[in-house]
Amino acid sequence: MATTAVAAPSARVKAKQSKRFKIWIGFLFLLLIAGGYFIVERLVQGLPVTNLSSITPWGAWIAFYIFFVGLSAGSFLLSTLIYVFGMMEYERIGRMALFTAIVCMIVALTFVLMDLGRPERMLNAIIYWNVTSPLAWEVHFYLVYIALLTTELYIAMREDLVRLAGTASLKGKVAKWLTFKNSTITESTKKRDHKWMKILGTIGIPLAILGVHGGTGTIFAVVQARPSWNTGLFPVIFVVSAMVSGTALLLAMYIIKKKATKQKIDHGMVVSLAKMMVGFLFIDLGLQFYEYLVGVYGLEHHHLEGLGTMMGSAYSWSFWGVQMFLGAAIPIFLVFNKKTGTNVNALLTAAILIVIGIIGVRFNIVVPAQIVPLFEGLPAGDYFPTFNEWMVSVGIAAMGLLIYTFGEQLLPIEEIQSSEKTEG
Amino acid sequence: MLSNMLGSKNMTEKDWNNLLDTALPDVEKEMDASPFDTKLSFNMADDARKVINENLNIKDFHKKYHSKLLKEFGEEVGQDFASGADEPAQETDGVKWGMVIDLRKCVGCDTCTVSCKAENRTPPGISYNVVLEQEIGDFPNVAKVNLPRPCMQCEKPSCVQVCPTRATYKLKNGIVTIDNDRCIGCRYCIVACPYGARSFDFGESYEDEMPGYNDVTSPEYGIERGERKPGKTPIGTVRKCNFCLHRLERGEEPACVETCVGDARFFGDLNDPNSTVSKLSKSPRAFRLKSDLGNGPNVIYLK
Ligand code: SF4
Ligand code: SF4
Repeated sequence: MATTAVAAPSARVKAKQSKRFKIWIGFLFLLLIAGGYFIVERLVQGLPVTNLSSITPWGAWIAFYIFFVGLSAGSFLLSTLIYVFGMMEYERIGRMALFTAIVCMIVALTFVLMDLGRPERMLNAIIYWNVTSPLAWEVHFYLVYIALLTTELYIAMREDLVRLAGTASLKGKVAKWLTFKNSTITESTKKRDHKWMKILGTIGIPLAILGVHGGTGTIFAVVQARPSWNTGLFPVIFVVSAMVSGTALLLAMYIIKKKATKQKIDHGMVVSLAKMMVGFLFIDLGLQFYEYLVGVYGLEHHHLEGLGTMMGSAYSWSFWGVQMFLGAAIPIFLVFNKKTGTNVNALLTAAILIVIGIIGVRFNIVVPAQIVPLFEGLPAGDYFPTFNEWMVSVGIAAMGLLIYTFGEQLLPIEEIQSSEKTEG
Repeated sequence: MLSNMLGSKNMTEKDWNNLLDTALPDVEKEMDASPFDTKLSFNMADDARKVINENLNIKDFHKKYHSKLLKEFGEEVGQDFASGADEPAQETDGVKWGMVIDLRKCVGCDTCTVSCKAENRTPPGISYNVVLEQEIGDFPNVAKVNLPRPCMQCEKPSCVQVCPTRATYKLKNGIVTIDNDRCIGCRYCIVACPYGARSFDFGESYEDEMPGYNDVTSPEYGIERGERKPGKTPIGTVRKCNFCLHRLERGEEPACVETCVGDARFFGDLNDPNSTVSKLSKSPRAFRLKSDLGNGPNVIYLK
């Protein structure tokens, strides 16, 4: 039984696990230090360490920023399936989804910070809020969203925190500190918590869809100067692809974690999550189809060139190779094929490929539109991230994984006793 | 006597003045003959001169003469003068700087680009003004066209719309400025400008080829920033053409207008219907770039 394995793992398994854990942490720290060197280089030397220019002013960091915002919004929306719409079959990943959403936002904002020419002035976007700027709105939405996620996660964990507060472990100490005085679990607190989860989740849905991720799409969609961004469907595609990547990420994380800690995998949930993931992917592809169709049909010179750059230039490998082949064709095949469709490893591969595919999607959004010159006669852009840009990105991602890993050590992100849960 | 004077080089300044006095009517006599108050007219003329020399505030001037004028000219004229004290008409109808570029006169020499770089001391990779060259038509019917492109100082600028910090904004005189001390360097404005008029200051310098380049930053927007040093504003922020605001403030035309070899550039007040730019902008040859976007450029081309 899974529960006994968690409650009393044999000493041998435990030692093996802690060794694995140490290797994992060590690995992440190494990446963080390596990335940290390049982050310092970037902060000291400024943006010349990148391949950005005045023609292509946004690059890899902006692509990663919208990627992580998407992951966050996607994970959060998945959590609302549980806490708002009562799909309890996914409850195992509920808090994981919330915590992932928080960490992804931290990562996303760090990417933005790296990208600013004057990071030390970042607060200006709050102090001198320009109400016509989608970017300024986003900064505000992100902060409210992070606050909401944190509150929701706290309430979701509260019962377990109270249970843990009695124990002497590190988790117990943190729990004691976090529960303050109201450390009781009664029927009424249960009801209250449940109610608040629902309320916060319900506020969160429009916030995540319209504010956080639709809004991030709006940053691009309002730019009339770049026709391939300037469509009404653009923010919608942002949200749907966020759902795709969020579901894929949680699926992958769930499987990897269960495998690493040698716990039993909820096979039914994995298969149904994979189906949902591909379902979102289909909607995403459908919307993209219309987006490109309408764009091409308009025969507008600039728009055609934007699409041409994405699908038929030196940059098209990212579209056909990463976005369409790795990120869509293979995963769809893996999920729908009879043999691989029920195989956990194959589904894990599909989920990871989809996440990678969405990275491609984000790059294809940001870069090609800035390659096409605004006027005939102006130079075309030419952009590929530098080594520094990649390493900074690796460093920030490692930071995110470290925060997640430590968070899981200190907080009851995973359910502790599933046997008790069923009673409640 | 006249021939004598012309022939004589011994005329003193006093003689010339005397001549002038006899030629001009006596103002005092003329005023006395008129139905208006002589003293009042003299005082007003004196004070008007003070106003022009900026020794007297126009509002104080209005206040001082308001009641006297009411008495002198009656309600109609006097009242007009009083309401002028708040100058509502003047506020709304201030200058709106605009530029007209005659493409038939432009020879594509890039003097504007170079003089702009010199005037604004822009670093490598930044040119506020560029001249786009293009060959049009099929051989043998080909022509080379040149399109000088400064910032359009749009009526409804996209850059101002998207800037999260209001670091870029439109002045009353129509010029779109950047507060480089507030700009966070997010580059959203560069992405949003349909005319590619904005550049990010990556901090590069000509110091190696041109010793002394770093000694002083151009006093853009009238702000003296001294030496150009790594990490010092405007490095890390966005820059663009501002119609040489610092030159306008001392009564000079933008550098590109002044140096234009073909005399292809005209500069002036678009709110003044009699200015050259206003008249040219009504020419049937006049057009604006990407006029479908609704930015409303204040740089107008003549085709
Ligand atoms: S041309 Fe570009 S930079 Fe200049 S005012 Fe218009 S939008 Fe702004
Ligand atoms: S780069 Fe500066 S001026 Fe441009 S949008 Fe950002 S804060 Fe505003």
